[in-house]
Amino acid sequence: MSLQHYLVISSILFTLGIFAVLTRKNAISILMGIELILNSCNLNFVAFSRFVEPAKNIVGRDDYLLDGQIIAIFGIVLAAAEAAVFLAIILAIYREFGSIRPDEVDTLKG
Amino acid sequence: MVVPLISIILLAPLAAFTIFALFGLAKRSFPRQDILSTAAMLVALGCSLYLLNETSDPKPLTVEWLSLGSITLSMGFYLDSVTVIMLIVVTLVSSLVHIFSIGYMHGDPRYPRFFAFLSLFSFSMLFLVVSDNLLGIYIGWELVGLCSYLLIGFWFEKDSAANACKKAFLTTRVGDVGMFIGMMMLFKQFDTLSLYGTDGIFEAVRTLEAGQIAWLSAAGILIFCGAVGKSAQVPLHTWLPDAMEGPTPVSALIHAATMVAAGVYLVARMFPILTPSSSLVIAYVGGITAIVAATIAIVRFDIKRVLAYSTVSQLGFMMLALGAGSYVAGLFHLTTHAFFKALLFLGSGSVIHAFHAMHAHHDEEHADDNEDEHDNHSLVHEHGSEIPPDQDMRNMGGLRRKMPFTFFTMLIATLSISGVPFVFSGFWSKDAILGGVLERAMGWNSVHHYILFGVVLLAAGITAFYMFRLIFMTFFGEPRNQEMHDMAHESPWVMVVPLLILAALSLPVVNKWWFKEGYINKPYQAHVHEPTHAQLRPDSKTGDTNFGFSNFGISEAEAAEEEGGHDTEHADDAHHGHGPAHTIAMVLSIIVAGLGILLSWLFYHKRRFTAESVATTFRPVYTLFWNKYYFDEFYNGVLVALTVWKSRLFAKFDLSIIDGIVNGVATITRAIFAAFIGFFDNRVIDGIVNRVAKVIWSVGGRVRRIQTGAIQTYLFVVLGGIVLIILIFRVL
Amino acid sequence: MDFTLKTFIFYGFALLTIGSALAVVTLRNIVHTAFALMVTLFGVAGLYVFLQADFLAATQVIVYVGGILVLILFGVMMTSGRLEMRIHIERGQLLLGAGISIALLMLLLTVIANMPVWKNLTDDGRSLEPTTEQIGTMILQEKFLLPFEVVSVLLLVALIGAALISRKEVRD
Repeated sequence: MSLQHYLVISSILFTLGIFAVLTRKNAISILMGIELILNSCNLNFVAFSRFVEPAKNIVGRDDYLLDGQIIAIFGIVLAAAEAAVFLAIILAIYREFGSIRPDEVDTLKG
Repeated sequence: MVVPLISIILLAPLAAFTIFALFGLAKRSFPRQDILSTAAMLVALGCSLYLLNETSDPKPLTVEWLSLGSITLSMGFYLDSVTVIMLIVVTLVSSLVHIFSIGYMHGDPRYPRFFAFLSLFSFSMLFLVVSDNLLGIYIGWELVGLCSYLLIGFWFEKDSAANACKKAFLTTRVGDVGMFIGMMMLFKQFDTLSLYGTDGIFEAVRTLEAGQIAWLSAAGILIFCGAVGKSAQVPLHTWLPDAMEGPTPVSALIHAATMVAAGVYLVARMFPILTPSSSLVIAYVGGITAIVAATIAIVRFDIKRVLAYSTVSQLGFMMLALGAGSYVAGLFHLTTHAFFKALLFLGSGSVIHAFHAMHAHHDEEHADDNEDEHDNHSLVHEHGSEIPPDQDMRNMGGLRRKMPFTFFTMLIATLSISGVPFVFSGFWSKDAILGGVLERAMGWNSVHHYILFGVVLLAAGITAFYMFRLIFMTFFGEPRNQEMHDMAHESPWVMVVPLLILAALSLPVVNKWWFKEGYINKPYQAHVHEPTHAQLRPDSKTGDTNFGFSNFGISEAEAAEEEGGHDTEHADDAHHGHGPAHTIAMVLSIIVAGLGILLSWLFYHKRRFTAESVATTFRPVYTLFWNKYYFDEFYNGVLVALTVWKSRLFAKFDLSIIDGIVNGVATITRAIFAAFIGFFDNRVIDGIVNRVAKVIWSVGGRVRRIQTGAIQTYLFVVLGGIVLIILIFRVL
Repeated sequence: MDFTLKTFIFYGFALLTIGSALAVVTLRNIVHTAFALMVTLFGVAGLYVFLQADFLAATQVIVYVGGILVLILFGVMMTSGRLEMRIHIERGQLLLGAGISIALLMLLLTVIANMPVWKNLTDDGRSLEPTTEQIGTMILQEKFLLPFEVVSVLLLVALIGAALISRKEVRD
């Protein structure tokens, strides 16, 4: 398994996420697409930290191999926070408009 | 030592005024402005006296002030014997006037301001005196004019004072314009306004050919115009008598001793550029002034106006002396006159002060009077009919015993001005003038100067007559107004002491020491000596027989020798030649003075003749004198009326023609252009604006639809954009 | 390329992930998509294991599957009635989205294929120590302490904000 395997997988995940965000007519489905995108990013981080060795002399230490994983942990935390806020917004929108279809929420229409 | 001393002399009075001004900013006044100003003047006096021996090597002390292209204007000081004498005269008289004013102005609501103005005036005059260039002199000159305006109008609540100060300012401006033109002629010709030094005007004048001096005569006469205004010469003399509306110390300071002396000083300073023709003009103006003012003074009853006309007359004497080439005599008379005329004014101030209780009463009446004539738009104050009662000599008489000091000192001054021989300074200076004129007449065999000699001799006699008339009416005889007489009292010591000092200065012994041998040198004069130098020589030595004052001529002779390089034989000839002129002049002057005093005694003391009967006999002459030769009427009737008429004409021109043109243009504009422009505005401009608005409106209406409000549409655009950008920059 | 068991399992996880992700974006029933997403998240966790990230894989399962996915399901329950379980899709939008997505994928794959540095970076086969202790040390004691705290505050703010936004308006 080379780096490129992981990159291809994460690219596909990313593209599917984008596709979901673009085409789904349900706010929660869009949230799921965003989760896919975030997962692809995390996968990228971890894969790069596994395969690409940074110049050791920058820090002179051996723990760089875990940096990507820790960033991914932060990514997961962000995803959790994002999901919470997103769902809260969806609830508020639902109360206001009675719908969570994004094309019906168009008060900014010119 | 010279520069710091001059600086102190200038800065002390200026500082006194500045302190007043700074306090004025805070709407307060310095607690003892009177002491401050007086002290400043005394300091200046001390410095001036110290400078008396610093004049051996006069040279200008200049700094560059302003660069105009290739021409540099400099400011600086020039200190020679004449400067020092003027400094001492100004500071001395000014100090005494300050001291006198402490008593005289006591209780005035604007007491501090008075002293501040006196300080400013003194500064201006001193600045004028020490300046070494025409620009500095002109600055000081105008400052003096301003201060005289402020001080004459000091009691500006009185309409007469307000009018008088305006009149003084405007009348002197007439002369100043001439002076400025004269200055500019010199500037054009010499590219400098400096008088002294190697590149100064006086040095340049020496090199002029005899044929080139026509314009120099014109410039000299024009500069003399300034002196005519400032020194109140005919025909610009009318402001000075009216200026007696100012407080009496002001009259003493400005209109006797210093400001009017500025004119004489200017002519003396510019002496080297005076050509024979301009000198003759000056002499004639001086002579006419002397006789005209003297005859007017005969019939005045206002004590201050008698003195005012007397001043005008005496200034005429000085101008005549300068015009006739008697440089030293003119300056000598300027000095002696400054002291005894200041004394006379202060003495009259003392008399007026004695009647001061009546003053308040008078002011009320005065104010009423003036309201009536308020419609009269003339600048000229008609004073003949309304003399303030405390200045009217017909209310006085017998004050000799009530005010012994005042009487005594004024008597000395009167004797001095009348030319009573030998012990009084006025005799010597006046005799020097008379002798100088007669010498010039005999030396040049000039009819002009014989005429002038006769005129000035007559004026001298009349002077003696009216001055003793003043003394007799004021101090002798019986009190004519018992009520006022009872109120009269001797003045406080602060007023008496200056009188005594000035009386001492009116004695020749005191004056003698700065007119010691060769102290004043007659300067080179443009081309005056050329045609008649040999004849001029006799002119130079004035009478040895006159003790103390024999030496003017020596210096003149020495000056002549320096210029001409003639040997001393001529000087000896000159010595013999001059004698007759001065002896004759002296004898004649004593005779006319005696005649004047005698007549005055007969008329006003012995009552052998009454003035009224004489007046009736010579009705036309009397009327002419009484109305002051109708100068004021002439100015009112002709100049003021002409100005008003011209103004009305211009106003009419403005109203009918200028306004007509403007209105016509406006109408045409409205009719034609406005219609066209309105059409253009409505159709073209508005059309463009509206069309643009419509286009933008419709475009906006279409573009608006892009804003769907749907997030996914935006996302499409964003992602499509990203793809495109990457394609363009990365792949292609 | 030797086709070992490890390779087999890797491809299995890869296919599982991609396939379930496809299901997430194509299924019409929102509940189905939610469960498909769960499978995807598991697949990613498996890939993490292949990358020697054991702690991360566990976190992925616990947080995503146990937390976020449940949250999403709650959202579904609260906002979608029975009739709205089906996701509405417009055909034009679908085609346009598919076009853009495919273009993006082609682009990414081109980049990946043409990046010389990334070629032949294969798994060297070394096995790391269990990472939990090291990660704990790094987060709590070393260079990631500050980001950790900041992220904690961020999470707190997000939770408070979410509670504030989602509660009913209290009219006063």
